[in-house]
Amino acid sequence: MEKLVSMKGITKTFPGVLALDQVDFELEAGEVMALLGENGAGKSTLMKVLSGIHGRDAGELCILGKNYGDLSPKSAREAGVAIIHQEMNLCNQLTVAENIFLGRERRHGIFLDNAAMNREAEKYLEELGISVPADRIAGELQVSRQQMVEIAKALSVRARILIMDEPTSALSSREIEELFRIIRKLKEQGHGIVYISHRLDELSHIADRVSIMRDGRMVSSGSFSEYSMDHIISLMVGREIREQYPRIDRAKGRKIFEVKDLNAGRKVRNIGFSLYEGEIVGIAGLMGAGRTELTRAIFGADLRESGSFYLDEREIKIEKPGDAIRAGIVLAPEDRRKDGLCTRLSIRQNLALPNLDRICRGFGVIDSRKERALCREAIENLKVKAPGMETEAGLLSGGNQQKIVVGKWLLRNSRLVIFDEPTRGIDVGAKVEIYQLMNRLKKQGIGVLFVSSEMPELLGLADRILVICDGRITGELSAAEASQSEILKLATAFEKKI
Amino acid sequence: MKEKKNAPKRLLEIRGMGGALTAFAGLIIIYIVFGLINPKVLSLQNILNLLRSMSKYLLIGLGQSVVMITGNIDLSIGSVVGMSAMMSATLMTRGIPLIPALFLTLCLGLLIGLLNGILVGKFKLPPFIATLGTMFVARGIGYLVNGNRNTDNIAAVLGKGEGDRFQGFFYYGKTLGIYNTFWIALLLFLIFYFLLGKTRVGRHIYAIGSNADAARLSGVDIVATTIKAYLISAFCAVIVGYILCAQAGMGNMEAGNMYEMYGVAAGVIGGVSPLGGSGLLLGTFAGAALWQTLENGLNMVGAQVGIQRIVIGVIVVLAVLTDVLVRYGRRRPAGH
Repeated sequence: MEKLVSMKGITKTFPGVLALDQVDFELEAGEVMALLGENGAGKSTLMKVLSGIHGRDAGELCILGKNYGDLSPKSAREAGVAIIHQEMNLCNQLTVAENIFLGRERRHGIFLDNAAMNREAEKYLEELGISVPADRIAGELQVSRQQMVEIAKALSVRARILIMDEPTSALSSREIEELFRIIRKLKEQGHGIVYISHRLDELSHIADRVSIMRDGRMVSSGSFSEYSMDHIISLMVGREIREQYPRIDRAKGRKIFEVKDLNAGRKVRNIGFSLYEGEIVGIAGLMGAGRTELTRAIFGADLRESGSFYLDEREIKIEKPGDAIRAGIVLAPEDRRKDGLCTRLSIRQNLALPNLDRICRGFGVIDSRKERALCREAIENLKVKAPGMETEAGLLSGGNQQKIVVGKWLLRNSRLVIFDEPTRGIDVGAKVEIYQLMNRLKKQGIGVLFVSSEMPELLGLADRILVICDGRITGELSAAEASQSEILKLATAFEKKI
Repeated sequence: MKEKKNAPKRLLEIRGMGGALTAFAGLIIIYIVFGLINPKVLSLQNILNLLRSMSKYLLIGLGQSVVMITGNIDLSIGSVVGMSAMMSATLMTRGIPLIPALFLTLCLGLLIGLLNGILVGKFKLPPFIATLGTMFVARGIGYLVNGNRNTDNIAAVLGKGEGDRFQGFFYYGKTLGIYNTFWIALLLFLIFYFLLGKTRVGRHIYAIGSNADAARLSGVDIVATTIKAYLISAFCAVIVGYILCAQAGMGNMEAGNMYEMYGVAAGVIGGVSPLGGSGLLLGTFAGAALWQTLENGLNMVGAQVGIQRIVIGVIVVLAVLTDVLVRYGRRRPAGH
């Protein structure tokens, strides 16, 4: 067997994080290698090293027998590595052929040779056994066809190594079968395929070998037939729980919040659950499972098809975030810089923004003294480290930004606080402070909904965990019965398509 | 965290103050330099004229700045100036009494502002395109109201008393020795300054300009706030329309031509960010004053109009360029 890729001892650090730790990885011609691991295990980072997007700190990288020192995206492409992205990377307004030849257009002198490009593009598409006219506008094609165009594009640059990231997530069962047929064909032609997916049951149709990552390390690798599903899951989980979580006990009280029959697009389907006084409810799920969409749908940030909400046993109407805030439901969103902060405004202005109703006198005139007092209180309570309250919010560190995003909501009497990935990208000290904050709310009898990709912190803090997969709640676990493998099993409980 | 700080430092901490103070400093330097070249620049009459001529740019700059702080732009205000001048003059020359004529004109102007706000805020049209459309519409209405020609002299129809009252109030009259035009501009400046700095609406205007997504998730009504901003810019444009009408004593179809861009220039020179979210109306004040002083000075030393335009163009670009460079320099060390 010809070896397409050989990576040895690959190590990669990001500031404060060891993303890849001495990883070995091999790919041979004519095989499908399933690359598995939970969120943040290092799969994407490894593939980004292979495709030249990330550099590496140490390790050998050999593609088609040639050793590469510094690998740029361009030289990776020329070496034959191509990524078929989860979100299609096509220019929607251009034709299929224009997309395939983007950046290396065929020309006659200074003029484009469209005829030649169309001819060649159709040749590649025919090789895949699909009929898509090369002059069709790419954006008008179905998602599955767009994926084929991406694959054709990879073939047209003579890529031997195809990296597919969750290729079936947007496909119907018939389309998945077609994709698998094409993958088998590519195998026969001597291509090697790295197949990243959380849909474990689909792997049996396609995978030859499997590599499992956890915490930036390669924990197991071998022939797919030698692994059972349970074994794979047990290898994926078992992340060390390094930190101590400051769990507090409090008796469960009255029902605070209930949502029924919530539907919003493909990522939020038939959601219903309740939340009681004195508990932190965790939401677990894989990347793209629809957790953020769920929080936004509750908060009124996105349109929804159906759903009713009850706060303290009374039905409330939530059409826009303002309604939720007035009712006492607040959201600290996942993407701080995009959704949480006005980065060009000061700390004071950010903290005051949702609380202007509390600090305004008649005619909407802001009481500056009240405003400053309120902000001083928040800054002291949250231990925000900043030169002053006039500092531009965008200039703060991640942890301090997060404290502002969370802190602005604690200045009002809320009934339910939704935290979406509150500890992402912040240092350990700040994390602990956020945990303590959630505990404080729990103690006060305020409902806490806690979305996180980090299973250890969910297990450490939540009293109850709802697991979401592909927009549906696939299970509910109490703190006592929850374990990492239990969560992962539910998080990969996809509806069977094939 | 330290709260005690000396006054100047506290002042500089106010975001946008840097740009405003720089423009004021530039203004003083320019004034002194021209004063040394030609002492007539320093004469009382020249100062009075200067205050009056800058008022138009200040008013239009206030409106445009408020919209720019929301992260948008209003290209229609120059045409609203023209439309208001034509509309008010036409109504007056057709025998409508002064106050109803001005009121109807204001309503029409605000209607354009409302339309801008709805198109940009509710239907999410790019503000450049939406207000380009209303710019043509407003100019067209200005042409149509008096049958495609300038109006007759207002005083001839209104009568000398009423006509003088109107022209005096908006342009030729003085209060406490200073032209009324300046008092009007100053009053509106103070009102909007207070509105932006001290009220909820003002805070919302900054917030949606800084980050509309985050503002929405904080409960800010984006549509309502956008509409309010465009109503303010239309309101300012209507007032400028009155002023131009009073100055000429008639309605001129080309009145207010290019004023939307003068508004941008006044704001930008004073440090109002065209990207939204930052800037002070104090800067707009300084920007309008600097620009008029420069134009006035260049005039007095006999520079051609072409030279004046080139100098203004260079200053606008320099103002934004320094802002960008300062931000870039400040962000880099703190970035990690």
